[in-house]
Amino acid sequence: MSGENTVREIGHDEFDPNGTLALILIYFGILTVMWVFMYFVEFLGNDLTVLA
Amino acid sequence: MNIHNYEKLWLVLAMVMIIGFISTVVYGATAVGIEMVNDEGGTIDSTALEEDDRFAEPRVEQVGDNEYEAYVVARQFIFEPDPIEVPANSTLTFYVTSPDVIHGFEVVGTNANAMVIPGEVTELTVELNEPGEYGILCNEYCGGGHHTMEGKLIVHPEDEFEQGGETDE
Repeated sequence: MSGENTVREIGHDEFDPNGTLALILIYFGILTVMWVFMYFVEFLGNDLTVLA
Repeated sequence: MNIHNYEKLWLVLAMVMIIGFISTVVYGATAVGIEMVNDEGGTIDSTALEEDDRFAEPRVEQVGDNEYEAYVVARQFIFEPDPIEVPANSTLTFYVTSPDVIHGFEVVGTNANAMVIPGEVTELTVELNEPGEYGILCNEYCGGGHHTMEGKLIVHPEDEFEQGGETDE
């Protein structure tokens, strides 16, 4: 891939996809919040619950 | 194989989340005691409900201190008995069956929701802590009058409840 327009070449571990990491962390955060809301508020809070 | 550290990080995070999801469900099943409706209620001859002790006369029966059992027949297009009346702070077990087709039994707006299958007895236990009124409806299409098939569950304040009061109205 190194052509004459290449400004800088870096190895596998030198490139840090910070944007991707940030997106994934935000996404995981949303999932966790939604799960907690769905399970503990919407489901467990929705009495009557079948207990036997 | 060369895996970037960030990639390792979010692989681990994904696993942690999956473990978290599973643990919350386990917590619900053990600490909170949530159960699935299963086939524990057993089977019954759907053509001879009138010969069955429980369903010949659909009713609510007190079986212990603050423990009640409701024997409910769901048929086209009513629930019997209607209304189902119990006091607050009680445990109520529904036994529901059908003489005709598949019905649904849903206490509206709650997690108490099950199928009613001819030949089977659906058993579900709920705790009623607060006085109030709930609708009961059929959520399985059961024929032309399906949309009118509804019942009522009335939870009376404890001091206003008399056993046998449900036949007065």
